[in-house]
Amino acid sequence: MAGGSLKRCALEGKIIVITSGKGGVGKTTATASIGAALALEGKQVAVVDMDIGLRNLDVVMGLENRIVFNIVDAVKGKCKIKQAAIKDRRIENLYLIPASQSDNKDILNPEAMVRFCKELRKEFDYVLLDCPAGIERGFENSVAPADEAVVICTPEISSVRDADRVIGLLYARSITPKLIVNRIVPEMVEKGDMLSHEDVVEVLSIELLGLVEMDSQVIISTNTGVPLVLQKESSAGQAFRRIAMRLNGQKNLPIEIPQSSKSFWKRVGQKIGIGK
Amino acid sequence: MLNGWLKKLVGKSDSKNVAKKRLQFALIYDKLEVSDEVLIKLHQDIVDVISRYFEIDKETLKLDIRKSEGKSALVVNTPILSAKRPF
Ligand SMILES: Nc1ncnc2c1ncn2[C@@H]1O[C@H](COP(=O)(O)OP(=O)(O)O)[C@@H](O)[C@H]1O
Ligand SMILES: [Mg+2]
Repeated sequence: MAGGSLKRCALEGKIIVITSGKGGVGKTTATASIGAALALEGKQVAVVDMDIGLRNLDVVMGLENRIVFNIVDAVKGKCKIKQAAIKDRRIENLYLIPASQSDNKDILNPEAMVRFCKELRKEFDYVLLDCPAGIERGFENSVAPADEAVVICTPEISSVRDADRVIGLLYARSITPKLIVNRIVPEMVEKGDMLSHEDVVEVLSIELLGLVEMDSQVIISTNTGVPLVLQKESSAGQAFRRIAMRLNGQKNLPIEIPQSSKSFWKRVGQKIGIGK
Repeated sequence: MLNGWLKKLVGKSDSKNVAKKRLQFALIYDKLEVSDEVLIKLHQDIVDVISRYFEIDKETLKLDIRKSEGKSALVVNTPILSAKRPF
């Protein structure tokens, strides 16, 4: 860790897993953004990349060239937590524990993760675990130490179906997850060509934590490594900030429903080449 | 047909309702998928229960899950050899 010291927090921190079953629905984006937003709320936050062998959270956060140690080193006791936790440059109190790129997921096991997270709880208010896709070992490793779970899906059949499967597996472990619906395109919902968040919530029947619009700023933010939540004009960034506030106890903060603005859709359409 | 034309005229589409129906059925089917182990246990339990009331040929009892659009049925088929006397 380059300089900086971890402040101890008074109470034991919370471990929250961010999971989906399906890949590419926004787990890593959500982890980085909610983590940054919680840190902006003044909390000590660690985001942990659990995708051993396929790390990504580091590039999304723009910290890829500062990695010295990784989670496998920390779990195996080859380094201290403080050495594996990379301090974010832009956001105070935000730390990344990267995945190792050379191992496979079997190198960790659920018991070791429970022990490791027990240590993390002493240092951080919130520990967000960015779960890999699938429901195998990487999922087990990420869910075993979790107190809470956030399930993320997009308004598509395959994604909702996988979310349903994952929700079942979480219930079996006595965790009641909350839902984020990501990549909503309001214009398509209004036209009747995309499942609405009401449809998704009805099918999955779990508590909704937030709704995130399809937003070209997400891609721009990933390109530059500048946190999405610092971009005032990003609807997705602002949605993640409200999600973080809700997670952080502001339970009554209303959930904003993405609304269409024709000019926006034209912009996205032109960008991805399906504009009329 | 006419409905479809009207929808096109007002720019309304229906693909999300198709998606929702397919999704709901998929989830029901997924949950009805029973492992072989469960089926073997269920088979034994059904044989035991029916045997309390009827003489049956335990070997020929057949257990099936039949899926058709919208619902699934558990089908048990066994020839009854004779009814058992109450005492
Ligand atoms: N709200 C959004 N708007 C636009 N693009 C998004 C949004 N959320 C995620 N993406 C993009 O979708 C892709 C997959 O997201 P990612 O967070 O890596 O998913 P996962 O970690 O679940 O595999 C990335 O290219 C990301 O930039
Ligand atoms: Mg990811």
